[in-house]
Amino acid sequence: MVGLDFFVYAFLVPLLPALAFVVLGLTGKSFRNGGGLLAVGAEGLALLLSVFFAYEESVSTTGIYHDSSFVWMGLPDGTNFVMGTLMSPLGALMLLVVNIVGFLVVVYSLEYMSHEEGLPRYYAELMLFLTAMNLVCLADNFLEFILAWELVGLCSYLLIGFFWKKPEAASAAKKAFLVTRVGDVLFFVGVFIFFTSLAGVVNPSITTLPYQGQVCPGGQVTWACAGFTFAPPNANSNAPFLAPGTITSPGYGSNLMTLAGLLILGGAAGKSAQFPLHTWLPDAMEGPTTVSALIHAATMVAAGVFLLAITSIYIGFTSTAALVILGIGSFTSLFAGTMGVVARDIKRVIAYSTMSQLGYMVMGVGASSLVLVGPGDAMFHLFTHAFFKALLFLSAGSVIHAVGTQDLFAMGGLLRKMPVTAFTMLIGALALSGIPPFSGFFSKDGLLALTWAASQHYAVALPFFLLALVGVFLTGFYIFRLWFLTFSGSHSRTPGLHGHEPSWIMRAPLVALAGLTLVAGVLPLFGGFANLLPGVQWGTLGYSYTSSGWVFSSSDLMVAIASLVLAFAGVGTAYVFWGNGRVFSLPENSWLRAPHTLLLRKYYFDEVYDGLAHGVILGVARGLDWFDRYVIDGTIHAFERLFSQASERGRRIQSGLVSNYASWIALGLVVLLVAIIYGIPWLDSLWGGG
Amino acid sequence: MIPLDELLVFSGLLFSIGIFGVLTRRNFIMLLISVEIIMNSAILNFVTFSAYSPSSSVAQAVSGQGIAVVLIGLAATEVALGLAIVLALNRIIGSVDVAKAMELRL
Amino acid sequence: MNVDGVLFALLAGAGLLTAIAALLAREIVHTIMWIAILFVSLGLVYFLLEAPFLGVLQLAVYAGAVTILLLFAIMVVKKRIFSKEAVTGIGVSSVALAVALATLFTLNASSVTPPNGGRVYDTTLLSVSLFASYGAWVLALGFVVLSALVGAVYLARESRGRRIRAEGE
Repeated sequence: MVGLDFFVYAFLVPLLPALAFVVLGLTGKSFRNGGGLLAVGAEGLALLLSVFFAYEESVSTTGIYHDSSFVWMGLPDGTNFVMGTLMSPLGALMLLVVNIVGFLVVVYSLEYMSHEEGLPRYYAELMLFLTAMNLVCLADNFLEFILAWELVGLCSYLLIGFFWKKPEAASAAKKAFLVTRVGDVLFFVGVFIFFTSLAGVVNPSITTLPYQGQVCPGGQVTWACAGFTFAPPNANSNAPFLAPGTITSPGYGSNLMTLAGLLILGGAAGKSAQFPLHTWLPDAMEGPTTVSALIHAATMVAAGVFLLAITSIYIGFTSTAALVILGIGSFTSLFAGTMGVVARDIKRVIAYSTMSQLGYMVMGVGASSLVLVGPGDAMFHLFTHAFFKALLFLSAGSVIHAVGTQDLFAMGGLLRKMPVTAFTMLIGALALSGIPPFSGFFSKDGLLALTWAASQHYAVALPFFLLALVGVFLTGFYIFRLWFLTFSGSHSRTPGLHGHEPSWIMRAPLVALAGLTLVAGVLPLFGGFANLLPGVQWGTLGYSYTSSGWVFSSSDLMVAIASLVLAFAGVGTAYVFWGNGRVFSLPENSWLRAPHTLLLRKYYFDEVYDGLAHGVILGVARGLDWFDRYVIDGTIHAFERLFSQASERGRRIQSGLVSNYASWIALGLVVLLVAIIYGIPWLDSLWGGG
Repeated sequence: MIPLDELLVFSGLLFSIGIFGVLTRRNFIMLLISVEIIMNSAILNFVTFSAYSPSSSVAQAVSGQGIAVVLIGLAATEVALGLAIVLALNRIIGSVDVAKAMELRL
Repeated sequence: MNVDGVLFALLAGAGLLTAIAALLAREIVHTIMWIAILFVSLGLVYFLLEAPFLGVLQLAVYAGAVTILLLFAIMVVKKRIFSKEAVTGIGVSSVALAVALATLFTLNASSVTPPNGGRVYDTTLLSVSLFASYGAWVLALGFVVLSALVGAVYLARESRGRRIRAEGE
């Protein structure tokens, strides 16, 4: 590579929090406030570096993939397992998201967490998480990606269980770990299928990459040649969108390929809390609010979307797999929204909205794979969502910090007491609902337009597009239900509840995130930012940014208008029910009671899974236990008895009596004698005297 | 000259008697005596084959007697050692009954 | 049948009878007496086989030294032969001996005649053979005898540790 090759220093970004982790983990107790300032310093430097790298990546003239790696293990058959960093557009964008939110959350933690016990542990785990998350962004092969991915999951487990003395927190941590584990296993199997079975398919015949149709350097897809290594499509990220059906590479659309894509979707669904592996995310809110903001809203749960996005670039999904991805995403977006409508816990409402928004992103990756463009729109929504969701969480944290409860129905009337928080949360809520000019509108609109385009090619996708539209209505409804219940009205519903604004340490990140939420939506218009979003359409108000400039499309305009109307309708409905301090409660004998209970109990998924665990898995376990006890152990015991009895008999030969031993010697002698005198001539005659 | 087969049968019978003694006697001294009978039958075989050696070289044929000399020396040491063992056994277990020397078994 | 044959038949018969008598004797001193007669008759057989040196050695070492040694051992141990002699392994040993004897008697070596018509090996020849060709063996035998001597002394010695232990008990 020519020019200043500073991208080899990308490893510094994960290294800085890693150093902080080591220092805090070993000597954290000797710092004041648990070493929070050290964490802020390390993360701040990492933030500066990642901003620098993201900027350089967006304006890079030396190609868009900057790989610096070394061979970690070489196998005799030529397969190399490499370790290293890959600076790619998606990775740089993700790096930016992780470190901006990470830095703000660490700053926010300085006050929010200040009177908790075990602060060194908190900061050390946070630093470990940021290390792992940065590694996820920079991994240049699937092996490294899996390592980082696992580490991220571990940190999630540790941080959800930060209040480990609370039984709910401990069990939520276990639940999160186990449920994501189900997805991870699927993910690994998918990667192994790619590695073992499909490498040959991808390797020689595909010189054109799935979505861009560009020839790789050397005519090879290096991820297949070099083991798990990602294949950098050596192309301009704003490559023209291909018409559907141009991929003709043999073996590319095989059923195995579809299966592998679905397995990878399983991993992403586990991490991103998509249906049906979604049950852990609401429970994960038992962790500190900062952790919810960082891990379970902005970064780690988005890693599943990131995984789908890079897979769609480096490997590509078959149309069947892409359709399933689209369906799962759009279904989750509506499904999670319905549960958000009835939840009473302020954090859980936001958690459901996270699931819902992640569903939009997953849907976007599926749609972009169907219409063969880059996953830029999904990544753009990931980018904006990270900010407004972290903003919502941190604002909610500010409220919880002030009033000491998480029950929405216990709050109310906090607008006057906490104006800044109320204002920042309003911005977040507007962005989430998709009201312009806040960032959520632009990114969500892009996704909807993309899905609409996909449904033009694949009619199966049309119902899912409609589901997503309904989800838009629900989003506006439940988030404003939350906002009205918390802030509107003249007084709180709980006597003696006194809110107050937090200090500037907590307010500053709120304001910063609010600012980002305001501007993030239009960032693709400036500079090279769109270069970080390969394939982004930014389909705002009917305008799409393509390689040939701005293109107006009336169907995109229709989608935008529809989603706007639905969002406003959602907000308005919320105002009717909850605005101005009103508290709507369902009449006792309403026909809506049953669905309401269904939603409150989260569609009984926990019960179903528990039943599965108790009925099926426990039954299988009992069967296996029986098998182990009586068949395997029985066989072993039979052998044991055989040998012990044989030796019990055999030891009688060992009388210890010299005469008996002599008898055996004599017997042996006689046998030898007979063998020599008769046996050898007999054998000789047998073999013809040879 | 004594026929070869008679010599061998004599030696074999002596050997068998010795073996029988080793197997059936419990007195350690009797064991030693039986072993000496066995040794003697073996020495007799060496001497016999020395006399019947087909070798034309006298020096080669006489080597059977040489081995017999070595064996007689060995037998003498064996008896000396065996008797030392008898003494030790008698001291340790107070008997020369091999059936009581069961230390080989746990 | 020549004189040699008659003499051998007498000596062999005496040898076998004394051997059996030695094993069947009720008194262990009698056993030593019978075994001494066996050793003497064997020594005489060596004379018949033209091995005079060996015959003398047999008389000196076996009929002399070994017999006296055994007598000394009996004297020190002061154990009579056991009144109830064990018959351990008499079944297996009987079978083994029967098979061995049956095997032996099937051998047919009567046609073999001494190649040189009864040559006399004088002692000079034997000594030359021993010390020229088999010098190493003789040397090794010396070491064996020496180590056996040391071993015998060690075994026969009243061990100090053992005595202390015995007193302790």
